[in-house]
Amino acid sequence: MNAVEIDSLTYTYPGAAQPTLKGVSLHIEQGDFLAVVGNNGCGKSTLCKALNGLIPHFISGTFDGKVRVGGLDTLESDVGTLARKVGYVYQDFENQIVRPTVLDDASYACLNYACPDYKQRGRDALRQCGLEGREEEYIWQLSGGQTHLLALAGAVSLCPDILILDEPIAQLDPMHADRIYEVLRDLNERYGKTIIVIEHHTEYIADYCRHVLLMKDGRAEWILPTGEALQRVDELEACNIFPPQVTQAAYRLRQRGTLPESACLPTTVEEGERAFASLSYKAVAPVEKCRQEEESAVSFQDVSLSYRTVKGEPRIVFDGLELDIKKGERVALIGSNGAGKSTLMKMMVGLLKARKGTVSLFGDPIGEKKAEELSRQISLVYQNPEEMFIKDSIRGDIAYAMQVRGVPDWQERTDRLLERFRLTELRDRDGRLMSGGQMRRASLAIGVALEPGILLLDEPTANLDIATRREIMQVLEDMKDMIQTAVIATHDMQLVCQWAQRIIVLSGGTVVADGSRDEIFAREDLAELVGIRPPEIFTMARRLDPQALCYTVDEFMDRFQEA
Amino acid sequence: MNTMAKPAAAQSQKLMVFVLSMSLYGLATLFTELIPKFQVGLVEFSVEYFLFIPLTLAMLFDPLSAALGAATGELVFSEIMLGQFGGLGELEKFLTVTIGIYIAGRMVSDPRNRTMVGVAAITGTAAQLLMGTVVDIAKVQFAVEDFEAVEGLPESVFATEGFAFCNDLLFSGIFFCLLPTLYLVPRLYGKIEPLLGAAPRTAEQNVSGLNPKALVVCAIGFACAVAAEMAATAGMSLVDWEAEWAESGTAMAVGMVVAAALAVLVLLVMKKNQERNMAC
Amino acid sequence: MEKMMSKLSENILDKFSMDFLRNQVLKNAYGNDDTVIAALDPRILIAWYLFFGVVPWFVNDLSFLLASFALVMVTTLLARVAGLVLFLFALGVFSQTGYLFLATLLFGGDASAVAPLLVLTLKVATISLASVTVFSGLDPDRLSNGLMWYGCPERLSFSISYAYRMLPMLMEEFQNVLLSYRLRGSAPDHDTFAGKVRYLIYQVKIIMESFYPLMLNTAKRSRTTVEALELRGYRYGATDKAVRKIKLSTMKVTCDDLLFLAVSALWMSLAVLGSTLI
Repeated sequence: MNAVEIDSLTYTYPGAAQPTLKGVSLHIEQGDFLAVVGNNGCGKSTLCKALNGLIPHFISGTFDGKVRVGGLDTLESDVGTLARKVGYVYQDFENQIVRPTVLDDASYACLNYACPDYKQRGRDALRQCGLEGREEEYIWQLSGGQTHLLALAGAVSLCPDILILDEPIAQLDPMHADRIYEVLRDLNERYGKTIIVIEHHTEYIADYCRHVLLMKDGRAEWILPTGEALQRVDELEACNIFPPQVTQAAYRLRQRGTLPESACLPTTVEEGERAFASLSYKAVAPVEKCRQEEESAVSFQDVSLSYRTVKGEPRIVFDGLELDIKKGERVALIGSNGAGKSTLMKMMVGLLKARKGTVSLFGDPIGEKKAEELSRQISLVYQNPEEMFIKDSIRGDIAYAMQVRGVPDWQERTDRLLERFRLTELRDRDGRLMSGGQMRRASLAIGVALEPGILLLDEPTANLDIATRREIMQVLEDMKDMIQTAVIATHDMQLVCQWAQRIIVLSGGTVVADGSRDEIFAREDLAELVGIRPPEIFTMARRLDPQALCYTVDEFMDRFQEA
Repeated sequence: MNTMAKPAAAQSQKLMVFVLSMSLYGLATLFTELIPKFQVGLVEFSVEYFLFIPLTLAMLFDPLSAALGAATGELVFSEIMLGQFGGLGELEKFLTVTIGIYIAGRMVSDPRNRTMVGVAAITGTAAQLLMGTVVDIAKVQFAVEDFEAVEGLPESVFATEGFAFCNDLLFSGIFFCLLPTLYLVPRLYGKIEPLLGAAPRTAEQNVSGLNPKALVVCAIGFACAVAAEMAATAGMSLVDWEAEWAESGTAMAVGMVVAAALAVLVLLVMKKNQERNMAC
Repeated sequence: MEKMMSKLSENILDKFSMDFLRNQVLKNAYGNDDTVIAALDPRILIAWYLFFGVVPWFVNDLSFLLASFALVMVTTLLARVAGLVLFLFALGVFSQTGYLFLATLLFGGDASAVAPLLVLTLKVATISLASVTVFSGLDPDRLSNGLMWYGCPERLSFSISYAYRMLPMLMEEFQNVLLSYRLRGSAPDHDTFAGKVRYLIYQVKIIMESFYPLMLNTAKRSRTTVEALELRGYRYGATDKAVRKIKLSTMKVTCDDLLFLAVSALWMSLAVLGSTLI
């Protein structure tokens, strides 16, 4: 039986000139694990909202065609009935949670639909989502990953046959991301749910999903089994979907003739091991570490910091932290969600004051500096770019800091920055109403407007699709001449490998490792300890040769030759 | 073709406006509770109003939802959350805020017209303040017995309340309602509506205009607000506590004490029994 | 005057920590769920509040008022209310009657004016403390269930629990926007008196302006919230009688609740007895 049947669905948002969905027809089997991929704005989310009846019952617009979910026609059933068939988890899932405690939220929907055993259902859902034992906790005690699981539990509690998740792992570290997907797999295999995810992390698609649906310009291009779908490298890349690095490497090897033309491309590390068995590693001389200036840019001396908690003792984030960042370094700060990365950055810009110890910028303690001086020395780009937009146009936002400080040629400088970050066309738009990549570029431009000596970036690539991520990485590359010292807090290991000279690993408020990428990724205990994971291509290379150190597909292509 | 214009969609927008207005105004009133009052002599220059938030929303979206949302927000965030719930007085505040914002919201037919926005903002504020003042004077008058007899008290109440009204209107009204509303409405117009999935308000739409019906509803609302306060006096004469005690005297009081003590004893025994049963 | 201005201008942004505020509010709501007061049935407490929140207005008997005040003071202590709330209580009582007291003196009143004002202050204090006990001592969900039992609209009880859910997020967002202003803006010097006035105006202006981004950001959020509410059946739950019944069935009146009422009654009737004897 088919869980979903869509027949020539065309939908236009109210007031929009073009339909968002153009004659979509497709079938999704009961018990499938489907990944929906496609460019930004290709109609993925709209399609999913058409499945749970929000379109057309809640969001008006022009709707044409037929959607049947679990045998029900969405036009004829109301949202309440459909909600028991289809569970939905939003991308901004934290706004989906409306109750203060965990069990309350998980059982909220069941209560509203008057199930007498709502508490039990909530508990069951929490168990299925791996949140057992946290029933009585308050929402703000949960980590990002747990909050996401709770949003999922809220959807699961109504026992829907179909679960839809919009970009479930965009904000999570790899360990939490694995958790989510393990839970989804369990729901799929053990409880027989049909799972639909909108996802652009193709590594996860390769590992977990059975089928892939490619959307393009409001149309469903094809649904194929995952293995087959990921072979279509050209087609995917044309839609800005980048197959797993292993697949990309194999594709290029095939083009080069190293792999036979008929060869099936591997999609996971295991498959890669077989496919690349004939290759051997050509060791290269390790690059000599060139120590740059020894002048310190930021230094933490015996710094302690704790947060107030609602109940009981304050939570200690840092206790006696010692850290020194030199001038001219490019540092990546990594660690799991809640390891203290953002806190560390906030201390550097003086937003948080240490309870004990001193934080110094260029040798002088932060506490003694005036805000004026501080903002010229250091600048922080938030994780959520929307919070950086305080004016009603991008131009106004970029200019603001220079304007109020009376920087003499602020108008020309603003224009130059707009030009440089390719924002000239958008200069009068409000930042919030732009696409993810544009917002991110704008927030970077705001961050560098005062030409600070040190630039701090909190998760600059979170929530972006791969193509936009590449674009931002390019921007970061371009900015090297403008910014001497930069610190990035991130979960994105590809970014870390390509960009950082020095990696600092935080765990539980202490620095557990500090060194170059070779030093960090070679240590396997770290992966266990803090849940960081090197890029897939690195793991692939290691499987083939334990000595290998490759961080990008390019390096892999260089170092691995036919024996 | 199937063009959907379900009531659920309109309902959802109203709920969104309600939630938005409630959370923002609630947050703002939470701050006003905390910002220190600033006094020159006996007149408070209190930063009372972040009323520009619901005013702005009422001019851009459904006025009634924004008005009710704001009043609920104030009630929930600053009164209940901080335990400052003042009983009957809150009903009065709830109604006057709702009416003031609703009036202002209905007055604006085209949010791009600055004059219209300005006039509406100041009218809404003035309406709210005036109703508050009337009720305030009444409140003190009824709470203090022998109000007229206390020398200097009536004059001082009228003077302070009257002055507070003028001061609030000129100070808070202009700086915290008029100017911010004029700043925000044109900036938000056309930007915030799509985020809620609504179409921007235009002159053709039927939202605006103060028709007699709306005014009557407002008047009834204000009457309720006054009635809530007047209930106090009515209650006082109906249940004349002191007279009652005087007549029945000590015997009655002793009876009450005995009854209450008995109740306490019985309940203690019951509780003991229950605990014993539980233990078994 | 100058001193006061400087204190004021420092207060608003510099010493006023959003983190502290957020913590106090949450602490007040959820940090004291293991107290005697929090364990009581919300309906009983609300009924109790209706007495102590209304009756003192109508009574002018001093011993009755003193006894009520003492009782609500004890319950407030039992409820372990957060410090900030108590501070606001004190501030509230002063701003309601304290200034009137000063005004009366100024308009030529003498010592005779003091007595009715003292009584008034006592009334206001008693009523405020009774509300502090109930609204701060109860956890918001129990409170909203109790209110629902008394027939308050479902919208209100939803708003209460949703407000507590939203507040931490909103405050964080507001804080971040304010921090953007602080990091990128340029505050006027505030060493001189004129500078301080300018600084104060600057701060107020920033707070006003920061509602522009805040409104847009919150609008984005509330859209998801409202859609999710629809999916999670909020509209059904709000109108369905069965749901109301399930919600209300979680409340139960126990011996402790009645005991609480009986002890309060005993105390008040003793006060009445005392006043008739005098």
